Amino acid sequence: MTTRAITQGEVILEGIVKNYGTFRALKGIDLRIAPGEFFALLGPSGSGKSTTLRVIAGLEVPDAGRMLVDGTEMTFAPPGERNVAMVFQNYALYPHMTLEQNIGFPLKMDGVPKAEIAARVQDAARKVRIDHLLARRPGQLSGGQQQRTALARAIVREPRLFLLDEPLSNLDAQLRLETRIELKRLHASLGVTTIYVTHDQEEAMTIADRMAVFRDGEIMQIGAPAEVFGRPDTLDVAAFIGSPPMNLIPARIEGGEAHFPGWRLALPGAPAGDVVVGVRPGRIRLADDGLPGKLLLSENLGEAMLLNVDVDGTLVKLRLPDVSPIAEGTAVRLAFDGSDILLFDPETRRRLDWPEMESRP
Amino acid sequence: MSSTRRRPATLRRVILTVAAALILFIWAFPVLWAVVVSLKSESEVLAYPPSVIFEPTLRNFRDALTGNLSIASSLMTSIILATATTVLTIILAVPAAYAFARLRLPARQGLGFYTLVTQMIPPVGLVIPYYLILNRVGLLDTYTGMITVYLTFSLPFAIWLMVSYLEDIPREMEEAAYLDKASRLQALWHVILPQIRGGIGVTTVFVFLNAWNEFLFAVQLGGNRIRPVTVAMHNFVSIEQTLWAKLAAAALVAMLPVIVIGILAQRQIVKGLTVGAVKGGGRR
Repeated sequence: MTTRAITQGEVILEGIVKNYGTFRALKGIDLRIAPGEFFALLGPSGSGKSTTLRVIAGLEVPDAGRMLVDGTEMTFAPPGERNVAMVFQNYALYPHMTLEQNIGFPLKMDGVPKAEIAARVQDAARKVRIDHLLARRPGQLSGGQQQRTALARAIVREPRLFLLDEPLSNLDAQLRLETRIELKRLHASLGVTTIYVTHDQEEAMTIADRMAVFRDGEIMQIGAPAEVFGRPDTLDVAAFIGSPPMNLIPARIEGGEAHFPGWRLALPGAPAGDVVVGVRPGRIRLADDGLPGKLLLSENLGEAMLLNVDVDGTLVKLRLPDVSPIAEGTAVRLAFDGSDILLFDPETRRRLDWPEMESRP
Repeated sequence: MSSTRRRPATLRRVILTVAAALILFIWAFPVLWAVVVSLKSESEVLAYPPSVIFEPTLRNFRDALTGNLSIASSLMTSIILATATTVLTIILAVPAAYAFARLRLPARQGLGFYTLVTQMIPPVGLVIPYYLILNRVGLLDTYTGMITVYLTFSLPFAIWLMVSYLEDIPREMEEAAYLDKASRLQALWHVILPQIRGGIGVTTVFVFLNAWNEFLFAVQLGGNRIRPVTVAMHNFVSIEQTLWAKLAAAALVAMLPVIVIGILAQRQIVKGLTVGAVKGGGRR
């Protein structure tokens, strides 16, 4: 066993383009992933996150752009020469082999002596707690155990990159939460750069050091989860991140005030013109003076209440800690503070910043 | 309690067993008939009313194998023809099917279609062209000629059967092997082939049986040298008489390899037909 300082596993993508026929799956991906980082590629299906991962793995050859791993160009290197390990969404375990053979397969292909294979397989299996199942075949295991086997097969080689393609999506909710913690723990103990594809933003938020938000073959934003959540760069990211995501309400800025139908909110210094106001559901409250609307539906979440309110044709969601029921159809007024909102340009779809906004905590 | 709950299941089993026995009897009847006839003397076969009680004899088997109308050399011919056809078919069909299933070939669609075209022509329409071709190249009544003709039928069939088995294997499994440093050939050998063993077994059996049972081409394109057992069976049928008992004995002998293969390959065939039943195998 060799121990490594986390100096390797840096991945750089430069202008990666991938076409499938006339469909442009990746439209120029630029990305730098630091050594030892836990990095999430987040986006809806078809957004290009999995294709990006496959380019990094060497399973797809990009049509343009290049990829560097630890300073070495790897764009066209075959998968086996990249020293990367991947866990597939369906685990891709070899059904005709026992777990021991499955986990030992990469070592066998690498020409590692038999005695060493046995020892390293044991070691890897122990790390994911399946060492008592080594004589079984994948078909005799639960989904969670299969998932651990796939992880063991990945860590047994001590690769310089871990690639995880939606590794939790085939597990039930409870197991998903447990495995999430385990993945984080495994990453902390191994320190190997991990690239994690998911469509589940909560998963990305909780597990990743940084993440890239994908949409239509492009990266919309790269940043730490808190950054992306707190300050989405575009309307599209704002509409994707958060559960439920940020409310996006059209308004007009005039004379340092945001004008909504039936309500005005002071926004000193905000640039005049048509805007989209973004505000998180948890930052809206019911008030005597505020945005007039009509309650469409209230959803009881247990420890909170989620209200769906129609505000002049726009659906606004707000989360209230108070769970006392409100009759549907009731006229309500919604208020929020100027310090809790973001502004977006409806034309460019980008976030608008102004000096007073920049200076807030 | 449990007995009342078990009763419908028992009844079901009885009905199923009776039905299965009935179907088996209907299917097995010709074989049983051949067994009975093969154990009678020629005169007893033609006796009317048929004799139910008779003294069984193995003379017909001896005559069929060693008499002057013996099918022994024809059995050997059939074994060589069917085995060579099967071995060549599998060796050629597996890589071809892999290419169809996995590689991004430019003419994949077209090639796939032309591979199947041969299957759309009724064999009888090909007998005369094949006869003329083999005659021209001097391959009439030769193993090379016969096996080549058999391959034109067995290969497309085997390729398409194997393609369906290969397409059942998720691509990710091969990709995982590539990431695990396996070459394409190693992935094929260690990961793909073991999983299509059942399919190869099924294909082998079908191809062998087709070649073994083939009659039309054998009778037209063969001759004195290449005279497989399906043709040699006619040794016992002549204008003057039909030697039913010896014919039945010869037929039973000819059936034997088929039955043996069926029993040996049974496990593989069942496996081949239940492929995809592996839980969590990630099959799409």
